Amino acid sequence: MKKLLIGLLLASTALTGFAQTPEEKGLAIAIEGDKRGEGFVDSQVKLKMVLIDAKGRESTRDMRVKTMEGQGEGGDKSLMVFDTPKDQKGVAMLTFTHKTKSDDQWLYLPALKRVKKISSRNKSGPFVGSEFAFEDISSQEVEKYTYKYLRDETIDGQDCYVVESDPVDKYSGYKRRVAWIDKEHYRALKIDFYDRKDSLLKTLTNSEYKLYLDKFWYPSLSEMKNHQTGKATRLVYENYEFKVGLKSKEFTKNSLKRAK
Amino acid sequence: MAASSYAEVSIDAELDYEGAVYFNDSLNPEIDQNVNNSVSAEMEMYTEWADGTQSLTFKPFYRYDEMDDERTHGDIRELMWHQVADEYELKVGIGKVFWGVTESAHLVDIVNQTDSVESLDGEEKLGQPMVQLLIERDWGNLDLFVLPYHRGRTFAGPDARLSTGFELADAVYESDDEEGNIDIAARFYSYVDDFEYAVSAFHGNSRELVLGVFSPDGNPSNITALQPYYPTITQLGLEVQYLIEGWAWKVEAIHRDGMIKDQSVFVTPVASVIGESESYFATVAGFEYTQVGIFETRWDLGWVAEHLYDSRQEDASFGAFEHDLLLGTRWVANDEASSELLAGILYDYEYQDYSLSLEGNTRIMNGLSLELEARIFAPASDNPQFDFRDEDFVKLTLTYYL
Repeated sequence: MKKLLIGLLLASTALTGFAQTPEEKGLAIAIEGDKRGEGFVDSQVKLKMVLIDAKGRESTRDMRVKTMEGQGEGGDKSLMVFDTPKDQKGVAMLTFTHKTKSDDQWLYLPALKRVKKISSRNKSGPFVGSEFAFEDISSQEVEKYTYKYLRDETIDGQDCYVVESDPVDKYSGYKRRVAWIDKEHYRALKIDFYDRKDSLLKTLTNSEYKLYLDKFWYPSLSEMKNHQTGKATRLVYENYEFKVGLKSKEFTKNSLKRAK
Repeated sequence: MAASSYAEVSIDAELDYEGAVYFNDSLNPEIDQNVNNSVSAEMEMYTEWADGTQSLTFKPFYRYDEMDDERTHGDIRELMWHQVADEYELKVGIGKVFWGVTESAHLVDIVNQTDSVESLDGEEKLGQPMVQLLIERDWGNLDLFVLPYHRGRTFAGPDARLSTGFELADAVYESDDEEGNIDIAARFYSYVDDFEYAVSAFHGNSRELVLGVFSPDGNPSNITALQPYYPTITQLGLEVQYLIEGWAWKVEAIHRDGMIKDQSVFVTPVASVIGESESYFATVAGFEYTQVGIFETRWDLGWVAEHLYDSRQEDASFGAFEHDLLLGTRWVANDEASSELLAGILYDYEYQDYSLSLEGNTRIMNGLSLELEARIFAPASDNPQFDFRDEDFVKLTLTYYL
């Protein structure tokens, strides 16, 4: 699919003699951003999720995430395991991302020893009570949105493309997203999320970017602020590890049950 | 010594306090208790070695109940050695396995015995000795089991609430090897997109018991105890779940051969009369429909409807659902406390009676959770569960995680 998209893009660029439409330019930026993230092979990271209510009270969850990069047509696979809150210890979620069809997702409940498939209809719902929706934390494939370049803008002294992306899936909770992507490294510094009625719902700010393997930029802090409720969720990442030699059998239903 | 060369043991534990209130006096005049306190403790020790390809889990459990000596019990929930090889996984020891997809009944789930003094929903299990071989391929998963020892089902004692009021005699088995019979089981499961399915087979000592009677002198009018009898059965099981849009369609079905009618077992110290074995099938089928973010809130609301059927109809065993309908609603707050509530009515359309249930849980703080369970029984006078009519209760459980 990606090859096809690039092919179409090249063809259309050739025809229009580099006078790209905003849609073409938006897609080209998304493809370039995706390409810069390719080749990480696999990764693992520990993170802390801090839920902050409108009065500023905090509650935290600790989790670990392993990801394996998709090959060819297959999307990324990821396994997330909870360490806290203590009653959720050992709860694990396995996600197979797909580029064009809905993701497959399973949840393991250790007390019952039960693996449950999660409906993809849930994607707009809050993820473990946070301001992140399921669709915000799943791997972002280019094909899941249509794009439109809006303008250039500078934030925090960094030159950015401002690109709108509209979800293809009708079950997305968003009408559109607007992302600020820095021109140098194609990192999403900020994303505004607009709800189905097109009012501003949330803003995600990614900061404290670190460079890994001289190639990959990952944020150490992601903060999602809900403008309608005043709540926020902070994701604090410890150091990422890459190319740790994860195997595909670590991303199966059986592996969910033994994820400790 | 390198840090990685000694085994690190992780230890987790949880302590429960449970308080139950029964609304009515017991039908048994000898029980004058309407409030019951109970505490339990569960520990989990885990260690792994050989680069995580081998592990050992030990999970002992103990409950003290102020009223019921049968409920005061300990169990090894898990004592399992687990090896992960390239082509298979092997587990040897005591453990727990869950099979099934539906909400109202767990027909297919047969590997573990139900620890029914722990809860009435059949989801608490006794540790099962087993050898389990797991094979996982692109085409699906195959789990094979050898189950060398049978656990008897737990029941409330005669002077406790939620009991039959009778003593239980020592279990009798159809198998000459009794609880030492070697049971076998297999399950294959796979999926295609949002369609998941499993087929399973089991042969050996039934986990569900036949409830007969015991007479110490062979006189049918001198019955001193209920007689648990475990026949040798063969069960075939099917599980299907299909997710589409907000719907989860679910089916569980079993065909069982070798079961015997309750009351057709009469045991004395010298001789026994055991009824004819029979085969039957049972199904539970229905759906859960989930609305995400209702009323512009973060809440999800689920609607559950399931139909239960047993081909034996009025001859079905005591605990079976012969012709029932479950209607329920599940509320998920999606809040920081992970609050949830499930309310249900189980309606028997032949006896025209029902029972109501309410189950909920929330987190008070990290490490402290609260659980609520309430049940109301309204059995018709000709329903075998008529003796439960005054056992309505509300139970609160506080769980502290160390």
